[in-house]
Amino acid sequence: MDLLDLIDAVQSVADGVLFGATYSLLGIGFTLIFGVMHKINLSYAAASIGAAYASLLVMSVVEAPAVLAFVAAAAAGGVIGGLVYLVGFRFIPLANPLATLMSTVGLLLLIDEIIVHATAGVPLSYPALFSDVIVQVGPFGLRGDLMFVFALGCVCMTLLLLLLYRTRLGLATRAVSQQATASLLCGISTTQVNVLTFVITGVVGGIAGAMTGAAIGMLSPLLSLPLTVKGLIVTVIGGLGSIPGAIIAGLIVGGLENAFQFFRGVSERDLYIMLLLFAFLVFRPGGIFAKSSGRD
Amino acid sequence: MRRLHAALAVLLAGSMLSLPGSALAQERTVKITGFGAKSGVVRVFGINSEAALKAAAEEINSKGGVTLGDGSKAKFTVDFLDDRCNAEEGISVMRRIASTDAFVAVGPTCSNVAESLFGILQKKVGDASDSGLQFPIIADVAAKGGLAKISEWAFRNVPSEFEMYKSLIAWIRKEHPSLKTMYGGVEKDFAHSNATYGVMKSQAEGSGLQVLGTSEWLLNDTTFSTQVRDMKRANADIVAISAHPFTTCGVLKEMARQGVKPKLLIGLTSSSSIETLQGCAKQAEGIIIPTSFAPVTPEAKLAADQVAKFGGSADLHSAAAYEIMFILKDVIESQKIMAKPDTVQADRNKMRAGLAALKETKGLLGKVGRTADREAIKPYLYVHAKDGSWQVLHKPTL
Repeated sequence: MDLLDLIDAVQSVADGVLFGATYSLLGIGFTLIFGVMHKINLSYAAASIGAAYASLLVMSVVEAPAVLAFVAAAAAGGVIGGLVYLVGFRFIPLANPLATLMSTVGLLLLIDEIIVHATAGVPLSYPALFSDVIVQVGPFGLRGDLMFVFALGCVCMTLLLLLLYRTRLGLATRAVSQQATASLLCGISTTQVNVLTFVITGVVGGIAGAMTGAAIGMLSPLLSLPLTVKGLIVTVIGGLGSIPGAIIAGLIVGGLENAFQFFRGVSERDLYIMLLLFAFLVFRPGGIFAKSSGRD
Repeated sequence: MRRLHAALAVLLAGSMLSLPGSALAQERTVKITGFGAKSGVVRVFGINSEAALKAAAEEINSKGGVTLGDGSKAKFTVDFLDDRCNAEEGISVMRRIASTDAFVAVGPTCSNVAESLFGILQKKVGDASDSGLQFPIIADVAAKGGLAKISEWAFRNVPSEFEMYKSLIAWIRKEHPSLKTMYGGVEKDFAHSNATYGVMKSQAEGSGLQVLGTSEWLLNDTTFSTQVRDMKRANADIVAISAHPFTTCGVLKEMARQGVKPKLLIGLTSSSSIETLQGCAKQAEGIIIPTSFAPVTPEAKLAADQVAKFGGSADLHSAAAYEIMFILKDVIESQKIMAKPDTVQADRNKMRAGLAALKETKGLLGKVGRTADREAIKPYLYVHAKDGSWQVLHKPTL
């Protein structure tokens, strides 16, 4: 490996880590819902992309700066999140884990197909902020749009952590997450907390969808499935229910994905990411920040 | 009263019988069933194909329809089924069509479906030991090279990408002799992109261009920085991208970010569509793509307008579907197909024989040759993205 290869390798990993912020946000959404309801919402990434599409609809009606797309995506994400709860969880017997799992699979396909029918599957251009900016750091160039995406991701994560650890809603959410029955006895409405969790994670997902669109420069229904897989991988590696874990795991997966791509090529890249997932499941099932006793 | 009713019935029957044959025949219809992706990420293929089939049917019907074997006139109706671009569903759809009184089907839109589907057809006509389906299919979109060879019941009206890229590379060598090197990019997991890149690469090497390397990505990839960095390092004169609009645009946008500006850009036939312009018109500026359709003749302009009326967009794929309806009309008439429930297998045999006998058909850009292995030799031209639209750059065969 010569110097140029080394520079390219580092650059690839840096790009991947920056893009990994979108994975982190998706991972947070998966993990938050799992933390509160102990359910996996497989439609989460599709709903996030759906929210980004909805923001494009808003942008086509209102002439506004590109940043509004992110706000619109967040708002649409919240609405879709609430709808996902209503359709996929509210009236489904929660005691049966398979029922909610299947209902969210159905919702994933439904949201995907709604997008496909609305757009005929045609990729649509998504507004990117700072796409012309490249910050040179020595031999490395950091993309302005990816840095914006990364910074936005960090802001969202900070706000979410503040919400969870500094507000009554966060307290209620954590209480339901830890002991639903005890929370109920304390007067906390678990249904209300569940709905709000879906809305909040929907908002985060909407921003993640918009960030993905901005980072790629386009939206396509093709994104739903790979982002669902990435979100799940991040959730497992980060540890189910661990928000700091999801944040770090997203960045790690983003970076490693590009590293494997660089060293082993596209045909082997996903293989190694999957091996990493299996390695965590076997050797560290509680995720990155799990205590050593996490293994049963 | 009863007598009055009887008299009226006799009068009615008499008037029906005394109607000229054409008036009665106008009530006859011939249903043509198309199939392809109408859901999933390549739904646009199905939408455009269906619109093109319906537009052509209306055009034919407005001029009197099709003359059947018994001399009666019939109108075309079009039904379009969804195979989701999935081989298993394509086979299932095909079996469903074959169980009706249809005598031909138009489709599929995806090469992976065509490849599997043609495999369930009887390979050689008249081979009693082969229990494969004896049903003629003519493909409009599935573009991977050489697919019709699979069965003698399979036909295609798709352009030969081999010929188009051979011609394009030769033209580039002639017009831009200073360009010596090429770098490729390919969507590795899509049959059509992969096969076409093989053609691009072999033609480039055969014409004396030095191929400096190839970057690979997958159909639903989201980042292309590593691939484009390799491209940047190669610093080739020409960059050839064999990918569909989503990743073509992703790569073009990444190229713009990294400042990769080749002297010439070549794209995949399927990307010479409205999707690419919707996704990345600015970054696609200048990309050259060979195509078998552009609204450059009066017939092609009319077809484009008609297809738009049915909610589709005329491109090299849907234009092929439009042409197919006229091909079917000619074969129905020349083979005297009856289109009756009791002549179904005979009609299928006649349709196959008629399609196989074709040496030339009328296309929207001119005459279309037919090869012995049931493929089309279509006229083509080169288009390039300019000012947010596809404009004709060169017409080598027109």
